[in-house]
Amino acid sequence: MTESGAQLFARLEGRRCLKDIEPHLFPEDGGPDHGEVVELCGTEGTGEFTALEAPVCLNCTAHLEPVCVSGKTELLYHLLCRCVLPEAAGGLEVDVVFVDTDYSLDMLRLVSILDSRLSTALSTSSSSAGSEEAALRSCLSRLLVVHCSSSSQLLLTLHFLETSLSSRPSLALLLIDSISAFYWLDRCEGGASVAKQEEKLSKCAELLGRLLRDYRVTVFATCHAIRRSSSGPAPSGSYLCRPWQRLVTHRLLCSRQDPAENMAAAARGSREQRRRQVFIVRCTSSSSSSSSCSMKGFRSSSFCVTDGGVEFIGTSSSQDNEQSQ
Amino acid sequence: MVVLREGMCPGLDEGLLRDLRAADVKTVEDLVSSDIEELAQKCSVSYKGLLAIRRVLLAQHTAFPVSGADLYEELLSSTAILSTGNPSLDKLLDSGLYTGEITELSGGPGSGKSQVCFGVAVHISYRLKQSVVYIDTTGGLAAGRLLQMLQAETSNTEEQMAALQRIHTFRLFDVYSLLDCLYSLRSGGLQQASVGGGSVKAVIVDSVSAVISPLLGGIQNEGMSLMIQVAGVLKTMAKDFNVAALVRVTQSLMCSALNARGISSVNPNPSQDTSSSYCFET
Repeated sequence: MTESGAQLFARLEGRRCLKDIEPHLFPEDGGPDHGEVVELCGTEGTGEFTALEAPVCLNCTAHLEPVCVSGKTELLYHLLCRCVLPEAAGGLEVDVVFVDTDYSLDMLRLVSILDSRLSTALSTSSSSAGSEEAALRSCLSRLLVVHCSSSSQLLLTLHFLETSLSSRPSLALLLIDSISAFYWLDRCEGGASVAKQEEKLSKCAELLGRLLRDYRVTVFATCHAIRRSSSGPAPSGSYLCRPWQRLVTHRLLCSRQDPAENMAAAARGSREQRRRQVFIVRCTSSSSSSSSCSMKGFRSSSFCVTDGGVEFIGTSSSQDNEQSQ
Repeated sequence: MVVLREGMCPGLDEGLLRDLRAADVKTVEDLVSSDIEELAQKCSVSYKGLLAIRRVLLAQHTAFPVSGADLYEELLSSTAILSTGNPSLDKLLDSGLYTGEITELSGGPGSGKSQVCFGVAVHISYRLKQSVVYIDTTGGLAAGRLLQMLQAETSNTEEQMAALQRIHTFRLFDVYSLLDCLYSLRSGGLQQASVGGGSVKAVIVDSVSAVISPLLGGIQNEGMSLMIQVAGVLKTMAKDFNVAALVRVTQSLMCSALNARGISSVNPNPSQDTSSSYCFET
């Protein structure tokens, strides 16, 4: 392949490291380094968080269900906002590519999170509505969105993104929501042979591996808990193909806090707090150098979802470093 | 998977295609993923030519990146919020159904899901003067009930007829015809349906679970795949044509696949005066 001088420099020039993308999430000094892959797992659901009740028909009531089962999408938006926000507003000011395979990117929600972050950050300095709007636009212009509707299109798109990666040195983060979107389609298309079923995702993972090596971006990918695992209690992306699992260096597992626990905590709080859902996210990092199972760090923290996005309630207790077995 | 064909792009002729097949390159993905230099030697074509073919094919079949700012701009200019005609339901939904989104309606039997669907269809066609596509998979759609609802709105027969004209119904009873219908709507059917009156602003599927739940479970994974396909085509349709999709399911089984805003209706005490309005519920 030919490479222009500009592309060479873009490739070699240091990209922004995302180790400090969210200190609450990862073990101390264990954030995702250049070229590392973080997998976000959790049970299914979207970013809705209000549980309202209102009489609708004559005699029946309707709930807007709290479909946010794990807070995974909200967490993704949080990370996305952190990356595209300007440094003045506590962001990292890097470019982000969002690969939307679920057609789930809720732009209105994203904008409302960005808006609230910007207004809290810029309220100290005197700013008008116009400058805030301009700041929002500049944040959004750091985001590239790609919609993919099949796994072969995902593969081709990743090939195509190589040019964006090589020409934009400020691009530091690739988000894939979600990597498991085509799992069932591929399984059905592949017929009886498992190799055939996994062929496309393996190819994507291999290509992604090469892109990570060459361009040293960081990848966050969400993964649906498609299978309610009968063996293990924790849902994870372990049903996806081996090449993908080999890429993953950090695993974030989102879940909703037990209602019972939640109640106990809320009994002390106000009525307002009782409405808040509390989510727990557990991070497991394995060192990228050695093979699968040597544990490097573990951390769990909890957050709740507000109008302005994810708010961390503090890192709960266990922040210990386990040594490998 | 896109199979390589003659004339897909300039330079891809019969001879080259045969050589590529011999080198086990049959699809666009194969060509794009393979090492071009090696392939050029195998097929004895010029490296530059093959690289140009790769570039054209890639540009043709990839999803194009859009800047977030442009996406937001487009969203601001095209999103509409359709009132459901029921103030408290509107309040619950942040003022109504959003175009470009899927709203899922779930609830137990007899909780008024279909009635909500009817109400929304009537409101959009009569008050908002827009077309509605109503896909009925249970046979539960009764024109008489729609007319009854319209009669409550207006006594003018012509207006009632005009409103009924704007509700396009499809009756189908299995998932394959549902997919078929959705695909044909996506590829031009929506524009056709809007010829008569206002543009199609809402697609109502009542209900998805009726055709999908028989296929789920067991050791076959075909049902899951079909469910994802239905969800996929609904989502792309909602995004690309800016219609609001209202999907009725009995359980929240499609939650993950749809990524929808969910409302569930609950009917705690069906009393005498409402029971008559549920007579069409299946």
